[in-house]
Amino acid sequence: MSAHAGTIDHHHDHTTVTGIPNKKLFMWAFLASDCMFFGALISSHVIYRLHPVPNATDPLKVFSLELTSFSTFILLMSSLLMALAVGASQKGKIEATRKMLLGTIFFGLIFLGCQVYEFTHFVHLGMTLKSDVFGSTFYTLTGTHGIHVAIGVLWLVFMYIRTFKPADASKAWVARAFTQFLAFAVATVTIMFLMLEVTHAGAEHGYSLASITGALTHTPLAAVSTTAFALSIALLFVLGRFKQPVDFGEANAIDVESMGLYWHFVDIVWIVIFTVVYLLEYL
Amino acid sequence: MSAHAATAHDSPEVHAEHHDDGKFHVFVQIAMILAVITGIEIVLIYLPLAKWLIVSSLVLLSVVKFLMVIFWFMHLKFDKIFCTILFFIGLILSGGTVAALMLLFGAKDSVPLTAQTIYAEQAAENE
Repeated sequence: MSAHAGTIDHHHDHTTVTGIPNKKLFMWAFLASDCMFFGALISSHVIYRLHPVPNATDPLKVFSLELTSFSTFILLMSSLLMALAVGASQKGKIEATRKMLLGTIFFGLIFLGCQVYEFTHFVHLGMTLKSDVFGSTFYTLTGTHGIHVAIGVLWLVFMYIRTFKPADASKAWVARAFTQFLAFAVATVTIMFLMLEVTHAGAEHGYSLASITGALTHTPLAAVSTTAFALSIALLFVLGRFKQPVDFGEANAIDVESMGLYWHFVDIVWIVIFTVVYLLEYL
Repeated sequence: MSAHAATAHDSPEVHAEHHDDGKFHVFVQIAMILAVITGIEIVLIYLPLAKWLIVSSLVLLSVVKFLMVIFWFMHLKFDKIFCTILFFIGLILSGGTVAALMLLFGAKDSVPLTAQTIYAEQAAENE
């Protein structure tokens, strides 16, 4: 599939009577409905902020604008990588598509890591899902968005693994794909755990090379996690060196594009949440 | 320029390659603009300006970011108009729901009775 003179050619795709591929039309309809879902959650949060109950959590005492701004920047940049992945897949550049997908996965995981840290920090400060109305609406809204990001990352991982499907249908690839997925899962869980360990150690003893290396090895669980993370990354690197012809090309661009639409939607929802939930609190 | 060079330059492959390069640069530029707008938003909340002006500016900047993502990154600019219509149906319904709820719960009568009592007590304590 290629784009000429500002239009997109969908000659590989099954199109509806509208001339728009089925998958794309489905995704746009789904995103339109998801707008209403987030609209309801955002308005619930704002309404309860306009009627604060006494002794409720003061958002300014728990929010970290630096962390949230960093998350926002990361999500915006992940959108750029996703757009480039879509462009690369439309041109049939598989290597570039894989790199951009990996970049998007990496940035998505950083965003999720920031959210995990933020939620852990808030709970530590006493703000929980049922501590007050602010906590309830905040966690429901940002948590729902976080689940959307997590689903997006999972989808990206599946798509990345899909790019390795061999052109020769007789070759077994399910075991290899499962191993790749397992490596992703182990790498994700261990890096989240290690990140929390490092940030907690940094908060207690200050950020230095000694405190970081200490956090990565100070308990058996941390040491096992560090080893498991290193092994899973090495495994992903080895499995990523697959050089045989693959059953993935321009014909699959619509799948990447549909996934891209979902990812960008997650980004635009965060644009609204960043302003409404975070920035407006500072006025 | 030779006839051969002119033909090569005008070939569909070369044209597509130039178009794709152009798209790449546009995407990178948009990402940089989005990052800059986010920076402006963060600075804006610390400026000693009227609250209504800051809120209006934040809303405007968010709308600009939103539109840039949907029209360029989500390809609405390059796709059939039907996609834009479909998405904006959801967006308008969502915006309408938010506006209706805000107006409904913004009314004085919507304040819960328990909250009214608490607010009255707080006002009395402050006096």
